[in-house]
Amino acid sequence: MTNIFKPLVAAAALCAAPFSAQAQGWTPPGPITMYIGFAAGGGADTQARLIAQGLEEKFGWTVIPQQAQGNSGLNLAAELADAPADGTAIGMVVSETLTYSALASGDPSVQLDKFTPLATTAQFQMGMVAMDGGDFDSWDKVTAAAEAGTPIRFATASDRQADMAWHLGQKVGIDFNIVEVRGGKGVMDGLRGGDVDIGWVAGAQSKPVQQGEMTNIARGIKTPLADTPDAPVITELGSDYLLDGYFMFIAPGDLDPDAREALGNAIRAVANDSSTDANAMLTKAFGGAAVVTGEDLDIFMEHSVKDAAALIEAVNG
Amino acid sequence: MRRINQNMALGAVIVALALFALFAWVPNDTVSGFVESKRGRLSIGDAMAPGIAFGLMALSGLILLLEARKGDMPGALEQRTFAFLLVALTACAVSFGVMIWAGPLAVAVFGGEGDTYRNLRDTAPWKHIGFVLGGTGLVTTLIALVEKRVTSNAVMIGLAAALALVGVFDLAFDNLLLPPNGDQ
Amino acid sequence: MSETLQYIGLGIMSVLNGPELFSIFGIGVPVAIVMLMGGLLTGIAVGATPGLAGPMAMAISLPLLISAFGFTPDALLPVFAFLIGIMKGATLGGAVPAILFNLPGTPDAMMTTLDGHPMAQNGQPKRALRIAQLSSVSGDTFSDIVLFVCAPFLAVIVERYLDLPEKTALLILSISFIAAVMGASVGKGLLSVSLGLIAAFIASGSDLSPRLTMGIPALREGFSLTAAVLGVLIVGEILSTLEELWRNKHALKVKDVENRGAIDGLQRGDIRRIVPYIGRGAVVGTMIGALPGVGSTLAATLSYTLARRRHRAITASEDPQFGTGVPEGIAATEAANSAVSGANLIPVLSLGIPGNAAAVFLILAADSIGGFNPGPAVFTFTENEINPQLVTAFGIFTLMALGNLLNWTVGGSFMRAMGVLAKIPAHYLLPVVLLVAMTAIYFQETSMFAIWTTLGFGVFGFFMRKMQVPVLPFVIAYILAGPIERSAREAFSASGADPWFLFKSPISVAFLVLSLAAPVFLSRGGKKPS
Repeated sequence: MTNIFKPLVAAAALCAAPFSAQAQGWTPPGPITMYIGFAAGGGADTQARLIAQGLEEKFGWTVIPQQAQGNSGLNLAAELADAPADGTAIGMVVSETLTYSALASGDPSVQLDKFTPLATTAQFQMGMVAMDGGDFDSWDKVTAAAEAGTPIRFATASDRQADMAWHLGQKVGIDFNIVEVRGGKGVMDGLRGGDVDIGWVAGAQSKPVQQGEMTNIARGIKTPLADTPDAPVITELGSDYLLDGYFMFIAPGDLDPDAREALGNAIRAVANDSSTDANAMLTKAFGGAAVVTGEDLDIFMEHSVKDAAALIEAVNG
Repeated sequence: MRRINQNMALGAVIVALALFALFAWVPNDTVSGFVESKRGRLSIGDAMAPGIAFGLMALSGLILLLEARKGDMPGALEQRTFAFLLVALTACAVSFGVMIWAGPLAVAVFGGEGDTYRNLRDTAPWKHIGFVLGGTGLVTTLIALVEKRVTSNAVMIGLAAALALVGVFDLAFDNLLLPPNGDQ
Repeated sequence: MSETLQYIGLGIMSVLNGPELFSIFGIGVPVAIVMLMGGLLTGIAVGATPGLAGPMAMAISLPLLISAFGFTPDALLPVFAFLIGIMKGATLGGAVPAILFNLPGTPDAMMTTLDGHPMAQNGQPKRALRIAQLSSVSGDTFSDIVLFVCAPFLAVIVERYLDLPEKTALLILSISFIAAVMGASVGKGLLSVSLGLIAAFIASGSDLSPRLTMGIPALREGFSLTAAVLGVLIVGEILSTLEELWRNKHALKVKDVENRGAIDGLQRGDIRRIVPYIGRGAVVGTMIGALPGVGSTLAATLSYTLARRRHRAITASEDPQFGTGVPEGIAATEAANSAVSGANLIPVLSLGIPGNAAAVFLILAADSIGGFNPGPAVFTFTENEINPQLVTAFGIFTLMALGNLLNWTVGGSFMRAMGVLAKIPAHYLLPVVLLVAMTAIYFQETSMFAIWTTLGFGVFGFFMRKMQVPVLPFVIAYILAGPIERSAREAFSASGADPWFLFKSPISVAFLVLSLAAPVFLSRGGKKPS
């Protein structure tokens, strides 16, 4: 479903002039607090801080980044839900937060309808990763090892990833030992230390893959991975679902439509402008900017919620 | 005698608290329990680690009871300690209270039509009012507590410290918010 | 081997070729070196001020440094440089008030007063300070060299031979050891450890509804690590010192020594006399430092006692003995307590296990900035790819070596100028330090809740001090709680939900047996100062 946005993204990038946000006539009534749902210092955190910097430089707004990490982004969601819906409080999470994680937590105050999605910035480059040259560096080797009775340790960094690992295993008849670790970095440390055999990584594997240390044996997204274009997509291997998603900005629910449009366009302008540090970072570490706003974003989010509900049902039901 | 009793009391209170947590708090305030069945497998639940920690706490209480019986354990509390702490904490609480409320109060009284403190939280002089008053108050009252009188020296040191912090961090760093402005 | 050399080179270059702050005569001065120098001078000053200590300065400067340098990997070396500078400077500075005013600036300088102050009273304060500097820096340098050699070696062994269950067992052993050796009794050590674990487990589980929050929304993110650590270690210390001053305003007042006209400065033969004592002190300090949690005070005491025995045996009875101001006494204690600081980083860098307060703040810095996770993964000598963590580790080693160099050269004269700091009344200083600490925490956490939390942990730390419950096990357990729970969970699921996963390998069983044995056997001599 992601590549239907590609032309839209490209077209929007051409249209997005730096002054588009001001043209709407909406300006924030005060400084904007940007909550960041990721650990300080990581790639996602840096990305958000660079967007904040870009918004300040390009539009003269005051943007104050603030950490609100933990619990798969739901801590941020809970904090943001209480903030004023006047455009002075926004937050960066992954789309998974308001879809899978919100549904799985069952907490009514953090569901998608309590928030206004503003804009995505980048897409997951989700791969199933193993050490290159190891015993599990292709899907065939994984299935062969499983048939031979070797227990396979599958590292995951979120509940959704764990569910997807289990679901895939059920479909192909492998009973993975699913090991939940902290972040893509935790997955890669586990692979290097020999503590796990394969694992999901959402983009941080790019450098080790390019340098031949690791390899993507499959991909979780529809479009081919930039580093390993011939890695098969997991739906071909037997999965019913993709493991895709975006980094995205959200605001509290019932945001004024003018504010939503202005903020969305402003983020787009910063992310797509090749002269900004944010754009350079997105290109270097996230496979390029991928901005979706407005109705297109609403459609994607609704679709993801349905997929997440089906996955939760399939795993627990 | 007094010391031994205090350590006995400490041990007993700790055992009681740990048992209460182990049987009432931990099971009722965790979703997954000690172990849970997830994706067809058993996995360690969220209650396991705190359960073990409270178990260790109960054990430490028992050891304290044994050690206290042997006598001669250092460490004792006196009433004067509580008196000091009460005054010091009141000073801190009042100072931080002033820090939180002085700014919004100033905006309400002296601010323009429709101004809110939230929207002025990054605008001088509003953003400095709470920190300077509360910070000066904190330092002054604590010095006065030790000296047992309020001196102009104490006020000057407090004011100088607060102003120095404003000067260094507000001028040098763009994205830092002084307390309490990030909570707005 | 060539890889190792390449990484050492990269580490040195990462310090020297870092971003330049300014240039002198066209030669750029890298920011990391400026920060190291700044930290070192701050450390000497803080160590020389009774009532302040190195960890306090590290705690307060950390949030400020992070605000200044940001959360990028580029921030790691400058921030570490400043912290390491404080760590090294404070060990040196602590001797100043001990010698001049019989008032140890840091707890581990207690033994320095025994011979340092009498020598100053005999009219030779400069000689005493000079001997203290030489011994302290020699001890520190020796211990750093041991660190450089041992930490990578140990880490490689751990990564090669220890799987997830053994790593879990090793972490269990380390907190059991800390509970056993720190504080007045095993019960109180264990209490401190268990409370640290409990505080860290609040809201930190893996369920999507955070555990143990009692329904309080502000607890959703748990207690912030900075708030807990600074509260217990720093605010608790400030409150308890203020209480002491409130009872007796003159508790930390200093008296000047008068010069009795003796010839001051280093005497002929001094160096030859003290070298053997420095050597033994450095070895004692390094060995004790490598064990997490045992502490520099014990190292100094042990070294002083050994040195006194040796000195009595080889000198005539009419010669001046220990306690009357002999150079050997200063040398033995200063070499030992300084040698602890480098060796203490062996478990930190190779295993991620902090052993003392300074190490706690280095871990806190790495944790806050990101991009460097102290532990065995740091020392992975990768073939095709450069491991940035390893470069950072060698960068840290470079900074430590440079820090020693600075301590050798400019440290001495700066140290002698710092005697004046002991005259600032502590009851003026500490409230200001409290305000700076609270403001610094706010910069990092941006929430008043963090300030209330810090204050709450401060009160907690205050009572722990009053009840003689050691505070460091609390902090170390707080830091290790997450890794222990995570590695146990990972080991359990990687084993395919085997309930006996901890007992499957002899190494892990051995670690577990040792963790049971530690409190039982080490408690016999357990009345050690923490």
